[in-house]
Amino acid sequence: MANQVKKYGFVIDPRRCIDCRACLVACRAENNVPLDNTRIWVYDQGVVGEFPNLTQQFVPYNCMHCDNPPCVAACPSQATYKRKADGIVVIDQDACIGCGLCLPACPYHVRFVNTQTGKADKCDACVQRVAQGEAPACVATCIGGSRLFGDLNDPLSEVSIALAQAKTIKQLPAVGVDTGPNLYYINDPVDEQQLAVTAPHMPASEAIYQKLIIPGILAAVGTMFLGQAVAFAKQLRKGESEYDE
Amino acid sequence: MSDEILSLAERKRLRAKKIKKHGLANILTHWFNVASWVILLSTGLALLANPNLRIMPQGYIDFFSHLFGGVGQLVQAHKVFGLIWLFVISYNVLLGFRRYFVPFARKRMLLTSDDLSWFREYGKKLLGLKYHLPPQDAYNAGQKAFGYVVILGTVTIGLTGLIMTFAYLLPLELRGIVQWLRPLHFLAVGGIVTGLVIHVYMAAFFPEEKSAFFSMFNGDVDALYARLHHKKWYEDKLKEERAYELKVRLEELEAREAETPETEKQATA
Repeated sequence: MANQVKKYGFVIDPRRCIDCRACLVACRAENNVPLDNTRIWVYDQGVVGEFPNLTQQFVPYNCMHCDNPPCVAACPSQATYKRKADGIVVIDQDACIGCGLCLPACPYHVRFVNTQTGKADKCDACVQRVAQGEAPACVATCIGGSRLFGDLNDPLSEVSIALAQAKTIKQLPAVGVDTGPNLYYINDPVDEQQLAVTAPHMPASEAIYQKLIIPGILAAVGTMFLGQAVAFAKQLRKGESEYDE
Repeated sequence: MSDEILSLAERKRLRAKKIKKHGLANILTHWFNVASWVILLSTGLALLANPNLRIMPQGYIDFFSHLFGGVGQLVQAHKVFGLIWLFVISYNVLLGFRRYFVPFARKRMLLTSDDLSWFREYGKKLLGLKYHLPPQDAYNAGQKAFGYVVILGTVTIGLTGLIMTFAYLLPLELRGIVQWLRPLHFLAVGGIVTGLVIHVYMAAFFPEEKSAFFSMFNGDVDALYARLHHKKWYEDKLKEERAYELKVRLEELEAREAETPETEKQATA
């Protein structure tokens, strides 16, 4: 049954964010993220309006754990995958070959190469905490209650209730592809242009590999195999005469 | 194959005579390479799991990732087997570089005008036209061509594989080259596999090359095969045999001369 499968997602209320960045610290401590990198962000959208009517928006930001993740489609070794049980998009560090194809594939630019491991890294919704029934570190530490996390398929979860009561709901659409992001911004409009959401990008090398090299080699091996099969059939029909003794 | 006509008795005599073609090191390296290719090709195909790259059915990919205990273990196993293969192959080549590799490259790999006309004549054969294959050396032109593909391919596979295995150590600015190395790695494997289809068919199924197949186990080909397929090499071997016989006979004569007592020599004089 569909509603037995969990679908974890984030609900973020930017109005409640005070830009304290405790979530960045909590994430770094929980997941051993090197100082050069970060898995999550808080984007300062700048001061808007005219004095004295000024507002300033802070947008907590991380992996959207998409329903249709372009990074999974880009990963050649399937190191990146979406967990079937709960929909969290994770990276198998053993399977990651560090090619870096997933970085430009993500329209939200939440992926980076970890400077310590040399492999792809990103928010994994603190799977180790989720397995214990706890919220991710960033959510647990958020003093304003701006970051929420839970099962979107459960109508009684904190995130579902927040979404039901929200004045506005906004998902960040990617350019040219329906990613189905599972991160919702509520109660405050968020501008995806300002957050530089793009289309997934595939380098030329990969296009040449997929469209030219693989079909070419398959055609060559197939032709050769067919040729040898014909030769073998001929040989069988002719039979062995001279070399039988 | 040569089109000369030999009597049955001559054929039988030549077939019984053995000529050494491969040394033990050569044979062991060949079968080590075969085993490595079976493992690396099957795990490598299972690594092309992304739907955009997939060649094998999903069941094949699942079988191998389950066999090794997950995609991560499969990737690691492919790397480890690849490193072992690379180490042993390069160790063997370097160890026997002056004794085997250089003479091999100089005597057996260079293309001659006979080789070029072999390609022409073999093309005619494939088209069903009249053909006459020129006499060939220890390896015929087709084998030499495959040899080049294998040497070039092995170097490419080894280098690209080595860099990709340790890609995580590369600085971020150089990471983009991994995206070119993967197709290159695949291209080199594909080139070898294309030739391998002929190589395996010729060795395992083609009756005329039966002797060559068994020479990869005991090192010997029979003289009939050598004479019909590798005339130039066969004649070189005959020359070698004659030279050896001459040397032995001369030594025998000298030894006999040394044994004869002085008095006898004087008496005959």
